[in-house]
Amino acid sequence: MFLAVFTPSESNEVSPDAALVNRLLQRDVSAFEDLYDRHSRIVYTLVLRILQQASTAEEVVQDVFLHLWRNAAQYDGSRGPFLPWLLTLARNRALDQLRLKSERQRRREEQAEELPPVVAIPDFEGSLDEKRRAKRVRELVALLDPKQKRAIELAYFEGLSHSEIANALQEPLGTVKGWIRNGLLRLKEGLQATS
Amino acid sequence: MNNAGQFRDPFRELIEEYALGSLDAEERAAVGAHLASGCAECTKALEEARLLVSQLAYLAPEAAPLDMLRGRLLETVRAEAAAAKSHTSTISESAIPLWMWGAVAAVLFFALYNAYEAHSLRETIRKTQEALTAQMELQQESARRLAWARREALILTDPRSMKIAMSAGTKGMPELQATWHHSMGIVVSGQKLPMPSGNRTLQLWLIPKAPGARPMPSMTLRPDADGTFDLLVANPPDSPSGTKALAITEEPAGGSPQPTTTPIWVGAVAGK
Repeated sequence: MFLAVFTPSESNEVSPDAALVNRLLQRDVSAFEDLYDRHSRIVYTLVLRILQQASTAEEVVQDVFLHLWRNAAQYDGSRGPFLPWLLTLARNRALDQLRLKSERQRRREEQAEELPPVVAIPDFEGSLDEKRRAKRVRELVALLDPKQKRAIELAYFEGLSHSEIANALQEPLGTVKGWIRNGLLRLKEGLQATS
Repeated sequence: MNNAGQFRDPFRELIEEYALGSLDAEERAAVGAHLASGCAECTKALEEARLLVSQLAYLAPEAAPLDMLRGRLLETVRAEAAAAKSHTSTISESAIPLWMWGAVAAVLFFALYNAYEAHSLRETIRKTQEALTAQMELQQESARRLAWARREALILTDPRSMKIAMSAGTKGMPELQATWHHSMGIVVSGQKLPMPSGNRTLQLWLIPKAPGARPMPSMTLRPDADGTFDLLVANPPDSPSGTKALAITEEPAGGSPQPTTTPIWVGAVAGK
């Protein structure tokens, strides 16, 4: 199953992330440091992509990790791995911030000067699997039709609905629905084949 | 597609887009309601879909936050952890001193005493209210009796009142005295009357002058324990001029519409 890609090989095994989250419950600062070092980059990458503004992205990332520190009990390890949970939390916060500002057009105009240069992520222990998975996701999505990829990105990074995407791309609603559905299924099948 | 696909849950194929958040409001509400109904297959599919969707984060251009953000966060986290530790140790290490237990006990005692006092006060107020109500009822009854007695006195003393002697047909039975005032009513009184048997009572009748007219029922009364009989009819059903006689019979409790026994006492009303 798809879940197997993310879960430890033995069902009784506690993932490193879950163990760190358990230590957060004991107010263990070093566990927080470890979790931050493991995941702050991808969280920041996602939030920055959504908000397109470094200062606001840092505020949201800080908010996400403080929320984790103060509400670690909200993560239920039995319902899935930690990182997707954290990314979902970060995406929701970032999209909330995006909607709150409602300055999408102005942001696009300022994009060139606001976006920082791409930062090369230094290798660190345990990042290999994640880097490999990231590479695979990019490869699989690159195989999609450009408009199909764009439709998925508009949904994920900008929080647009099918109708809003159809309007933005000037394409029929049914076509947009088909692109997104088909694109997600192809990504899923590709990741399953990889695992 | 296999045959099983023909029976696939129509909501199932929307789960990935539900996790992505791209469904329009109506579809999103429908899928949400379906999930809320407890569909196990779709709930499990949603967990997987959320994992799938989270992978889209890797499509973003890689970036890293400034070290300053890490420093700010750790500063906040360390301060909160220290504060929590300090709070915990304050509670766990400092045993509650005896004087504080004494204070707690005093507060508890005071609270219990207050509760007792409040209860006692409520009880006192309740009893006082009951006594006041009883007193008022007594006063009303006394006032009623006084008004009744005054009325009787006026009837009995007014020279315009008509005196009617009501003699008993049975030997040894005391005589009753009736006094009829044209506007204030009739008083019938007597002493040492025998008590009617069982629950039976004595009932006054007005016998009309008109030939063939039936006796008109009036009030009922049992003598008291001393045999005293004192009946006031404030509003007689007829005037003395139309009444031939007064009679008293023994009737069942509550009285009768028509006499059921032979009158014990009868008194002729003098015609004018």
